[in-house]
Amino acid sequence: MTLLLEIENLTGGYKDTNVLFDISVKIGAGSLLGVLGRNGVGKTTFARLVQGGIKASHGDIRLDGQPILNKSAHARRRMGVGYMPQTAMVFDDLTVLENLSLYPNKKSLDYYFDRFPRLAERLNQPAGTMSGGERKILSFVRTMIEDTKLIILDEPTEGVQPENINLMADCLRERVAEGAAVFLCEQNLNLLSEVSDWFLGLDSGRVIMTESADTTNRDDLNAVLSL
Amino acid sequence: MAYQIGLYLIYGIAAQGIGYLWGKTGVLPLGQSLFFGIAAYVTAITLRADGNLFLNLGLATIGLTLISGLAFLLATLVFRGRNESGPYFSLITLALVMIAEQVAGTASSLTGGFNGISGFNSLGNLDPFGGFYYVIVAATVTVSLLLFILNRLPINLIVKSVMDNEPRMQLLGFRTHVIKGAAFAFSAMIAALAGGLFASHQGIVTPTSAGFALSAEMVILTAVGGRFHVLGPLIGAVIVGWASAELRDSFPYWELLMAVVFILVILKSPGGIAELLETAFRWVWPKEAKHVPPSVLVPKIQFNKQKKPLRFEDVKLQIGVVQILNKVSFEAPLTGIISIIGPNGAGKTSALNTITGNLNVTGGRIMLGESRIDSRPPHRALANGIGRKLQVPSVFFSLSISENLAIAMMAGRLRLADLFKPATYQWRSKSLFDILSNPSVPLNEELTEPVKHLPQGHRQFLEYAMTVAAEPSVLLLDEPCAGLSPDETTLMTELVKTYQSETSGLVIVIEHDMSIVEAISDKVLVLHLGQVLAFDDYDKVRLNTDVQAVYAGGTK
Amino acid sequence: MSPVLLLNLAWQISTLALIALGLAIVFGKLRIMNMAHGEFVMIGAYAPVITSMLGLPGWLQLPVCLITVAFVAFVLERTIVRHLYGRMFDSLLATWGIAILLREIVELIFGRSYQSVSPPLSGTINVIGVDYPAYRIAVIIGIFLGFIGFSWWNTRSKMATRIKAMVGNPELAEAIGLNTARLSAGAFVFGCCTAGLAGLILAPTVRIEPMMGLDYLIRSFFALVVGGLGSLEGLGIGVSIIAGTQTFLGAVSSQTYGYLAVLTLSILFLWLKPNGIHSSSR
Repeated sequence: MTLLLEIENLTGGYKDTNVLFDISVKIGAGSLLGVLGRNGVGKTTFARLVQGGIKASHGDIRLDGQPILNKSAHARRRMGVGYMPQTAMVFDDLTVLENLSLYPNKKSLDYYFDRFPRLAERLNQPAGTMSGGERKILSFVRTMIEDTKLIILDEPTEGVQPENINLMADCLRERVAEGAAVFLCEQNLNLLSEVSDWFLGLDSGRVIMTESADTTNRDDLNAVLSL
Repeated sequence: MAYQIGLYLIYGIAAQGIGYLWGKTGVLPLGQSLFFGIAAYVTAITLRADGNLFLNLGLATIGLTLISGLAFLLATLVFRGRNESGPYFSLITLALVMIAEQVAGTASSLTGGFNGISGFNSLGNLDPFGGFYYVIVAATVTVSLLLFILNRLPINLIVKSVMDNEPRMQLLGFRTHVIKGAAFAFSAMIAALAGGLFASHQGIVTPTSAGFALSAEMVILTAVGGRFHVLGPLIGAVIVGWASAELRDSFPYWELLMAVVFILVILKSPGGIAELLETAFRWVWPKEAKHVPPSVLVPKIQFNKQKKPLRFEDVKLQIGVVQILNKVSFEAPLTGIISIIGPNGAGKTSALNTITGNLNVTGGRIMLGESRIDSRPPHRALANGIGRKLQVPSVFFSLSISENLAIAMMAGRLRLADLFKPATYQWRSKSLFDILSNPSVPLNEELTEPVKHLPQGHRQFLEYAMTVAAEPSVLLLDEPCAGLSPDETTLMTELVKTYQSETSGLVIVIEHDMSIVEAISDKVLVLHLGQVLAFDDYDKVRLNTDVQAVYAGGTK
Repeated sequence: MSPVLLLNLAWQISTLALIALGLAIVFGKLRIMNMAHGEFVMIGAYAPVITSMLGLPGWLQLPVCLITVAFVAFVLERTIVRHLYGRMFDSLLATWGIAILLREIVELIFGRSYQSVSPPLSGTINVIGVDYPAYRIAVIIGIFLGFIGFSWWNTRSKMATRIKAMVGNPELAEAIGLNTARLSAGAFVFGCCTAGLAGLILAPTVRIEPMMGLDYLIRSFFALVVGGLGSLEGLGIGVSIIAGTQTFLGAVSSQTYGYLAVLTLSILFLWLKPNGIHSSSR
């Protein structure tokens, strides 16, 4: 397994307040890291630090061996970092089709429309008029079709019905099989334990668990969420 | 010197009115000299006609009332049915003042045209260079005291909350356009007071007193002085006025410097000079930590709590070309918990939106007992006993937890007099107390930080607590467990169940997680493509073949 | 309707459309209420004054105009305006400050007195039965062709969608790979340049002075309010209504009544139809 993302001693947060402290983790190509922790432990901050939306105060992030800590978010995206935010995850004023075609895509839209036919039915509807779950799906599909090697997802299943969550899990497994690394922040333990190769548990901005999926059971995960 | 200071104070008073409106409600008035100018002209005309002090004072009172009434009418008309403090209103005030300036310059018979009106004595024949100065100082002190007192009263929290989150205020039953209209009328009255003083002080009124340039100047004074503090605009007016009188002639780059300072204030220091002064002041005398005052028993809910059945009759909802709801009909029981489930995009959230009036139905009707409740403005929902928690937690992000809860406690309980009683802040109801005293609930009332720093899950609990504070008999919850951990989810469902059994009202929950649905529901409503697929007990719905087909076959 | 009035109307509409196009991009797309838009018209109008002061040949007027305006706009965008995205009111106030700043600087350099320049084309052409200045005819045709070209490009490029995406959700736009700093600076500079170009075109027909911008700002603002933001059709309608009202009422009664009618019309639109006559957004 080739190493894709290396994070060393990452510390950062918003303005003067650090939320995350001294995080180190490595993700290989073709694997999925499940990031879990209760509300407010810093999962979103972690995702945004790696994605580039906020700047780390110190530490190191390398993608394919190249340092990306000082790169802007759009530069990281062009280097292959995809991101699905937790909130404000679509362009509300743009139609579904415009949301999906702002940038040239690697994968065909039809492939995903077959799985999520609701999107295909609403191509010319402004994304902001769709329901919360549909917007999550739209944002998820946008993240899937992009030409990326690292995919960061922040709570992709909030408000999504179980059947669609299963479809999302299939899509994730496909991208992982193709060699992408996935960084999944999630509260939904069913999804997490189904797709993750590794788990990273967070509490109060620090790593409290790094385990392979083979050696972790459901109780360990529950323990992280209910500290 | 006193003459000049008097003039600066007059501009300062008008700027205080701008500061109140802009700093508290976020509505920026660009045409404040409309009211300033009208009052100045009226004062000039009456003073010229008759010098009797008491007659003039009486006319001034009537004038101020009329002008603020006019402003109230204007603002409520424009703000009605529109959820923004937006730029459009500012542009309207701008266009109005431009018209006023043109009219003042053209209607020579009334206003004296470009030369204006002059040749009258000041109010009570006081000397503008002496005695009248004290009148101005007295007016300044009065206005400042009034603003200070208003800041300490519950009405201040209400005005701030409207700026923070208008849709939430409406769901809490507040008529937000009236609140904004009242704030605008108040600031217009202050501007008019300043205008009257101006005419009396200057002895001449010209179209520039009702002009756009003066409006812009007063906004600049407000911004530079500091719009968030009562004294800010006053400080701005005096400092800028004095400095410009001193420097304008000796320093050719004065105007340039002012423009740069103004831009810098807007960009870097929205609190203006007042904020800098306050920071320095707090450095010497640190502020004492605020403590949460003891709770006070709440007055009774004002709305009719009699329970009535909620009924959808062939409800249709179309937005653009999309049919969101297509003939939805069902009758909810008087008491119990109903879960709404269905694929994404089935119309679940939209169904709740039609109940609260956030969306108007395009066919059919929604009844509560014998009265039709659909397509009414959202602020009327609570009066029907309907409370609503939104899908993405909607709270007052710039306020602290205790302020958020205080506003929620006022919902449905507030009478006009309570707006002016500090005790209103301390209201706590039993339902709210139960939630807060539960050690698992992650809401610490002592926190004075704005809730925008709270994580998403904690906001869910806050918004839930705020929604039940008014003790609605129909409680609508849109995915209350989204983003919650398993433990928090259990806690939330317990809270909902307890609330329902204590009030024996109706709760409607949108939920995706079938284990939650099973645990809490008395009945389950299944929506699919905007139609009711099933409405029955959980077990029966689970065995329903139509429902199984939808859930097994994806969303096709 | 007399032919001269008709040609005057075409002249008014085409020049106002050029100015309003820039404001439509800066206000309509970037959501910056640019109160300094008129000042870019003013700077553009000073370009012929600059070339004649420096003794440069007349054909350099256009490059001098565009370079000066683009430079000023770029510097202002990078230093001030970029902090104002998503802050509508602050943008209004800060650009009001910029407007004062630009007026004062121009006044310090060129003085407060009126300047005038002569048109590059002299003489008249006979159109629909009247002799009309050749320069104005050329401008009307030029702007008309320019708009056709712009709308052709606009429907083919994703630029408008990208700007809309960036303004609606800048963080997501960065996350999907848009260089938002470059995109916003480019759009702002382009918008200001159309104003500058309009200033250069208007220069031979008006008195050039530091305060001249305000009137153009107000008329183009209200043209957008009436026509609605977000589409070229709306822009055309709004500009025609504003220019038409002012030209006709100005001809039959007085300029003041034309002005009052425009203001009243704008208030009614702001109040009752805030999205304008023709709007792309629902």
